[in-house]
Amino acid sequence: MRRQRTSFWETLRYRGGIGAAVWVLHRVTGLGILLLVSVHVMAAFLMNALDDPISTAVTRWYESRPVQVFVYFCVLYHALNGLRVLLEDLCPPLLRHHRELIWLQWAIFIPVFGLPAFFIAQGIVIGNP
Amino acid sequence: MRRLDERNGLEYYLWLFTRLSAILMLCAGAAGIVYANLWGRTLMDAPAQYRWAFFPIYWHVQNTDVPDVFPVWSNAFWRVWCTILLFLASWHGFNGLRVVVEDYLHPPVLLILVKGFIGLLFMFVFGAGTVIIFEWF
Repeated sequence: MRRQRTSFWETLRYRGGIGAAVWVLHRVTGLGILLLVSVHVMAAFLMNALDDPISTAVTRWYESRPVQVFVYFCVLYHALNGLRVLLEDLCPPLLRHHRELIWLQWAIFIPVFGLPAFFIAQGIVIGNP
Repeated sequence: MRRLDERNGLEYYLWLFTRLSAILMLCAGAAGIVYANLWGRTLMDAPAQYRWAFFPIYWHVQNTDVPDVFPVWSNAFWRVWCTILLFLASWHGFNGLRVVVEDYLHPPVLLILVKGFIGLLFMFVFGAGTVIIFEWF
C-alpha cells in the first residue's frame, strides 16, 4: 500500500461530502480519546504515587462536566463509526448502502449521545461534580 | 475489503489488529453495561455505569452507594480483564496515532523520531495503567 502524501490543510479542504466528514470526525474523536484517556491514566498514576496538587487538579478537570460530555461524545462517535466501518469491511455488499448506513449511525448517535449528555451537563445524575 | 500486497505484511496485521481490538472493546463495553445492570442497577447511577463499562476498575464504582466493593467489583478476574482491555485500547490508540502521523509528517528522520516517541508514550501509559490495576487495586 502506497501512502498518499497529504497535508493537514488538504484534509480540511477536501470536498468529499459526508463520507470525508465522518472520516475526519473519526480521526479527531480518536485523537481526543487518546489524549484525554492518556492524561487521565497518567494523572491517576501520579496522584497515587505522589499525591501532588497538579495531578489532583488534572483529575478534577477530567471529571468536570464539559470534559465528561466531550469524552462521551468522542467514545460514542468513535465506537459507532468504527462499528459501521467494521461491518462494511466484513460485508462489502453493505457499501451499496453506505450513505444510508451513515444516516442510520447518526439516527442512533443523536439520542444515545444527546440524552445522557443533557443529564450530565445539567448535573441531574449524581456522581458528577 | 482492501487488498494489500505481501510486502506490507506488518501493516496488514496492524490493520487487522485495529479491527479485532475494536470488536473486543465493543463487546467488553456491552458486557460491562450488562454486568453493571445485573449487580448494581439500583445502586449505581448512570455515570458510574458508563465509567464501569468504559473501564471496569473498582475506582469507577467507588463514589456510589455500592456497599461492599471488593467481592463483586474488585477481584483477580477484573484485574486480568482490565489489563487486557488496557493493552488493547492503548495499542489501538497509539497505533492509530502512528497512522495519522504518517499521513501528515513526511521528513523520514523526523518520522522515525516521532514514531519512537509514540512507542515510548505507549510503554509509559500502558506501564502506568498496569501499576494502577495491580498496585492500588
